Amino acid sequence: MHDGALFRRICILGVAAWLLVFALAPNAGLLVVSFLTRHPEDFVAPGLTLEAYGRLMDPTFAAIFWESVRLAALATLVCLLAGYPFAYGIARASRRWRPWLLLLVVVPFWTNSLIRTYAVILILKSRGVLSNLLEALGLTSGPVSLLYTDTAMFIGFTYTLLPFMVLPLFAAIEKLDRNLLDAARDLGAGSLRAFWNVTLPLTMPGILAGSMLVFLPALGMFYIPELLGGGKSMLLGNFIKNQMLLARDWPLGAAASTVLTVALAVMIVLWRLATLRARQDEDDDILTEGAP
Amino acid sequence: MTKRIAALLLLAALVAVPSAWAEAGKTLTIYNWTDYMPQSVLDEFTAETGIKVIYSTYDSNEAMFTKLKLMGGKGYDIVVPSTYFLSLMREQGLLAEIDPKGLTNFANLDPEVLNKPFDPENRYSIPYMWGSTGLMVNTAQVAPGTVTSWADLKRPELAGRILMSSDLRDGLGVALKALGHSMNTRDEAEIKAAYEWLLELKPAVRMFTSDGAKQVFAGEEAVVGLIFNGDASQIREEMPELEYVYPREGAMLWMDNLCIPAGAQNKEGAMLFIDFLLRPEIAARIAEEFRYTTPNKAAQALLPEELRNDPIVSPRPEDLVNSEFQTGVGDALPVYEKYWEMLKVAGD
Amino acid sequence: MTRKLRALWMVLVFAFLYLPIVVVIVYSFNDATYSTAWRGFTWKWYERLAANGPLMDAALRTLFVAVVSATAATALGTLAALALNRYRFAGRKVLLGSILVLTVSPDIVMGISLLIFFVTLGASLGFGTLLVSHITLCLPFVTLTVLARLASFDENLVEAARDLGASEWRAFRHVILPLILPAVGAGWLLSFTLSMDDVLISFFVTGPSYEILPLKIYSMVRLGVKPDINALSAIMFTLTVACVLLAHAMTRTRRH
Repeated sequence: MHDGALFRRICILGVAAWLLVFALAPNAGLLVVSFLTRHPEDFVAPGLTLEAYGRLMDPTFAAIFWESVRLAALATLVCLLAGYPFAYGIARASRRWRPWLLLLVVVPFWTNSLIRTYAVILILKSRGVLSNLLEALGLTSGPVSLLYTDTAMFIGFTYTLLPFMVLPLFAAIEKLDRNLLDAARDLGAGSLRAFWNVTLPLTMPGILAGSMLVFLPALGMFYIPELLGGGKSMLLGNFIKNQMLLARDWPLGAAASTVLTVALAVMIVLWRLATLRARQDEDDDILTEGAP
Repeated sequence: MTKRIAALLLLAALVAVPSAWAEAGKTLTIYNWTDYMPQSVLDEFTAETGIKVIYSTYDSNEAMFTKLKLMGGKGYDIVVPSTYFLSLMREQGLLAEIDPKGLTNFANLDPEVLNKPFDPENRYSIPYMWGSTGLMVNTAQVAPGTVTSWADLKRPELAGRILMSSDLRDGLGVALKALGHSMNTRDEAEIKAAYEWLLELKPAVRMFTSDGAKQVFAGEEAVVGLIFNGDASQIREEMPELEYVYPREGAMLWMDNLCIPAGAQNKEGAMLFIDFLLRPEIAARIAEEFRYTTPNKAAQALLPEELRNDPIVSPRPEDLVNSEFQTGVGDALPVYEKYWEMLKVAGD
Repeated sequence: MTRKLRALWMVLVFAFLYLPIVVVIVYSFNDATYSTAWRGFTWKWYERLAANGPLMDAALRTLFVAVVSATAATALGTLAALALNRYRFAGRKVLLGSILVLTVSPDIVMGISLLIFFVTLGASLGFGTLLVSHITLCLPFVTLTVLARLASFDENLVEAARDLGASEWRAFRHVILPLILPAVGAGWLLSFTLSMDDVLISFFVTGPSYEILPLKIYSMVRLGVKPDINALSAIMFTLTVACVLLAHAMTRTRRH
């Protein structure tokens, strides 16, 4: 028992110490900065104020926030729809092949993302790879360009974020007990119903984890909207970056970042309430359910 | 086991903390854009002086300023801010004074680019390279001679084929120039007017970008738009139908300047390096590679003839009528930022 | 039927993932600096790359820091997931919350706050500070992935092991770890990928003595990204694929 307590203590203390120093402390600092006074030269000046939050109450920021959330949510949906069957396929491959298929998924991502984005430009541009292919197949007459459209931006988002969806999904699907599915089928459930009633609920933790790992980084993307989407709108990532570096309005940047964190917290709480109502017996966090 | 390996790796990491700082006198740390100084020039400097060069990079003046400021002006021996950041850095005490008497090659510099308002008497900065942001016109797609001014961007036949800068100072600068104002104005009414000018233009803009301009024009995704003169000169080698136009209302000028941060550890080395770059043959080599304009008069004479006579690389006085250097706008910057956000948010 | 559709879908997604890489490799042999049209075959970008020592150094540093930080982040992140899933202790919710906050922190904010932290400590910026930052960046990705795997984990297995006299560590090593290994592997791969590609955080937390590839590449955009970067990407890609194939061949022979 003594030994067990030791492992447990190392676990908790180590992790807690790391997060305290590198996650909580900087974010507490951020929270403080969001209440300080703007100073274009020294970044912040003493003097508590709600001014930064006041300036966020403005239709421009609301539009930026809404547009970012909309795009990130759509990107997450696209990644989920594309990634689920794909991750399922990997998880159902023979045991020997699985790790290699996983590796195969991430290897392209070891090429710098800016370089890959330029390559995507070469594919989507007029008289590019795709345009020529479509013309050769007789599907279009003359060159077409997909660049600087929302479609191009979503292709870019999916291309950059797909593994962050696929890998957590894979980890969740892989442990799925085939016997459960067989049992469902034996009881007369069709493929679709078996999927809906058995597979989907059991892989929900993976879906949630993957969605979070795609949705949050998608909010912060700054070069894909410009290079592929044409940079016609401003997203949250760019807004915060501009406040921190360009306008040197740190309180405003910090306040925007804090609002983002709070919005996420509200989302998680709402989700939890929803799942709690759906499953009355559940009394734990959606992310860590199953603990004793 | 995994944990033991992790612990070992962490330990190794802590031990491996760089020891480069130990020999500060023998190294020179340069903070600049990637490849903005030819490797051969750096190697030559090392061979001559024995000073090892560490070349570190940033991707914007803003990022460089923030980092240098947070580090208290320490960590680098040379930085290369553009004009609009120079005055800010100088006022904040981030830069060390430079004594031109310590530079044997100072006299090579063109007096035309010295003693500018952003650094009177050049007490903190030595010009490295300068250039203009003008218009690129694809003459295979747009009738030559139809686009000669910023205001021409509004011509209906260009709709949907325009590249606009994604940098707010450049973007609003175009509109300010088109309206006849200074691109460095601090007057909110003028900035607002510029915003409205751009708002009207926005539906005609294909993309806002400043990083990929060369690729965009090469791929003919846009037929007219902003470009740096050096980029224009380079790309014309492969596509001569792309023409560089100095707009009638005036091009936007910028200059990158060699400066020594206040906390530099090797100020003598930095002076030696600046003096080395001011040598005519070195400055000419750099200008030839990047196709921007060298502030070095002696180097101008050494340039190959086609560059010396090329108004893109060596602008004639008539090209620069109405042109201005981009300078800091101080307190007006948040106003620019505000209108730029409004422009981006507006639906088209 | 579904099987075939699924296989087809997998092929399509893999094609989607690899097509841009093929384009990068092809263009690394294109005899044009800016033009996107094909202008003939050349080796010159590879020659230029060979002469560009700093770029190669930066690539090696990037790989090294990615391997070390992914490994450390995986260890720490797995422990975090374990602690959050299996133990009840004061401040558990705070811990979970801080992991989520870490995920949502914009890179720029994280980079600046870490820099302020390091400057306050008086740490010299370089490998050490970069490593610590990358571990912090990757940690939540590992934890969330492992947590997804641990969800509805059969606690009876651990109980059984403990009843048989296994210590907590041994129960972890022999019961839990094998069960969550796919998630741990996935977490490592995610971390490695993140670390290889990070720009905004790295810009602030590393020093001139330890410059990594993404910083150099992002800084190139002002003067134009030249095809020697394509050549470098092609070489790095070929090398990683070669390593993967070699490892694959080795494990196969070992099994036979």
